[in-house]
Amino acid sequence: MTDPATDDRTDNDGDAPTHDWSGSDADPAAGGGSGSDGDPATDGGTVTGGITSGHAWQRSPSALLGRPLVTAIFLSTFAFLVFPVVVTFVASFAREWTGVLPSGFVTFAHWEQVLGLASYEDAANYSLRLGEVLRALTENPLAAPGKSPLFRSMWLALGGVLVNLVVGVPIAYAVARYEFPGRDLLNAFAVLPLAPGIILGVAFLRAFPELSGTDFGLIVGYSLLKAPFMVMAVQSSFESMPLRQLEESARSLGASWPRTFLSVIVPNARRGIISGAIICWALAAAEFNFSYIVFSRGARPLALFLKANISNSSFLTTAAAVSVFFLLIAAVTAALQLLGNRAFTTG
Amino acid sequence: MAEITLDGVTKRFGETTAVDDVSLTVADGEILGVVGPSGCGKTTTLRTVAGFETPTEGAVCFDDEDVTRVPPERRNVGLVFQSYALFDNMTVRENVEFGPKMQGVSKRERVERAMDLLELLDIDELADRDPTTLSGGQQQRVGLARALAIEPRILLLDEPMTGLDAQLKTHLQQEMVGLLEDLDVTVLYVTHDQTEAMVMCDRIAVMNDGVVEQVGTPDAVYERPANDFVADFVGTSNRLAATASDGRLDFGHATTPAPNGDEGEVTVVVRPEAFEVGAGPFSATVSERFYLGEHVQTIAELPDGESVTLRIDPTEAPSPGEQVSLALDTDRVHVLPQS
Repeated sequence: MTDPATDDRTDNDGDAPTHDWSGSDADPAAGGGSGSDGDPATDGGTVTGGITSGHAWQRSPSALLGRPLVTAIFLSTFAFLVFPVVVTFVASFAREWTGVLPSGFVTFAHWEQVLGLASYEDAANYSLRLGEVLRALTENPLAAPGKSPLFRSMWLALGGVLVNLVVGVPIAYAVARYEFPGRDLLNAFAVLPLAPGIILGVAFLRAFPELSGTDFGLIVGYSLLKAPFMVMAVQSSFESMPLRQLEESARSLGASWPRTFLSVIVPNARRGIISGAIICWALAAAEFNFSYIVFSRGARPLALFLKANISNSSFLTTAAAVSVFFLLIAAVTAALQLLGNRAFTTG
Repeated sequence: MAEITLDGVTKRFGETTAVDDVSLTVADGEILGVVGPSGCGKTTTLRTVAGFETPTEGAVCFDDEDVTRVPPERRNVGLVFQSYALFDNMTVRENVEFGPKMQGVSKRERVERAMDLLELLDIDELADRDPTTLSGGQQQRVGLARALAIEPRILLLDEPMTGLDAQLKTHLQQEMVGLLEDLDVTVLYVTHDQTEAMVMCDRIAVMNDGVVEQVGTPDAVYERPANDFVADFVGTSNRLAATASDGRLDFGHATTPAPNGDEGEVTVVVRPEAFEVGAGPFSATVSERFYLGEHVQTIAELPDGESVTLRIDPTEAPSPGEQVSLALDTDRVHVLPQS
């Protein structure tokens, strides 16, 4: 890397004091060459740091180490967390993974299996037939959920989110907007399901044995378990706006209460509602404990599927499922944010 | 446009009485200011007129129509809040269109109406902006345009200027007075800022503890306060105890002619500008001096230990510690009626 110091020194001369903050961590005199490994912006700082390095306060350990240290910790944590995800994603396209690295690229067999387009028996003699995959998807997208754990979990989680929207948003509104007897109780009740899914699952089975394993039972359970996240996200959104005045403005302008709620209050809380929906959906789709207790028939929910496959030979299918799940969360998040903002703009 | 009549309105929240037997009439096209310290019941009064509170007792009438039980959305009352409460899921123009839309006005007409109002308020170039990107003054205008778009019978303003900086406030006050007069709309203007109320309003109602203490024109309220509270709340006042007899006011350490034929123990309200430094019956010792530009606010102590506030021209202002002689312009003092 070329040292821009000589060029920049003259350019930046006059500005030097205003850039003290960036120069302090990359002082060439005191900090060795640490600054030269950074990006150009940091190098710019090296220059100004050199000029003002006479100040004693700049040599304090926190000033010298602060930024590089934080950056290093952040990057290593990030790498540590991202590495498994990347390897899993890459491996999901491999035929086998027996050694250190996966091998036998590229196959879509695991993905197809996860997406419910092939049975487990087919997987071994799988050959790439993307056209067929696409045709199956377009012809009968609803057939897929029946076979695929991933899709089943997605639909069930979506059902849970819908229930949460219908129940959670009004609860959040009531708690944020009104003072009423039992308000604290309702608030506590809304947050109570933060209790582990296993407890709720057992209680659920005892109370409604006939609902065990049905889609309805799982949806209700997911919505109940994830309700606190929806209520908390939406409530904080409501509490950050002049709720009563918004409502009263709309009413005075001739909007009935339901109209006010749907066309002013809910859209103004869209950020909380969207993030609540994303959190609920992602958590419900991956819920293990409750699914484990309550599930009895049909395609296994995603978490159970992953658990069943994690130790056996079809680990690569698990890899594909995890990959699909990650992609879906990313896609759903992006789509909800884009669409949500647009869908809410109509008065 | 309509006349508002509050007839013996009382509003209780559990044990507390927010508004206590308030009777008020706002004439057609009048701007009535409701002032008072926080918690005096002025906002509850406004919310009762808007329909968000139902009075525990009493009635609210618009002209001859009793609207006490009419829901807010059917009262045709425009509302502007301190927080503006703009709908940030809509553009500025959509905000203004919202009311007409609820009233079932056709798309073309309401766009036209919205643009006319935005033009009137000189913010037509902001029509397609997101309200969250506007400054406080701009949001305030949008809030006003939105309230006016329903062509309201009555306009209710709840501290609409609070939170704006002083200079913008002065500017907007003058602008809004002109606008409201042109629009010829009945206005109830709630504020804790009595100066603002004096600038903006035809008449002022001073409230305290849920009760209306006095209703009158700004000069009547300032010059002839009905009681101690009003004298204290509106403007700066010196309240001095005196004995009135035979057309004289005896302050103990000084006597002056009495403005009216009062007799007995009275409280005399003396505004700072009613005192004049120079030869006079009062002698006082200056204790503090605050330079305010156009005048010097001076605190002086009378022989009986009572402090008085004076308003003195900077060229004549005495320094702390100085002995001064004060004359009293008896045409500008007000003797409070015996309570």
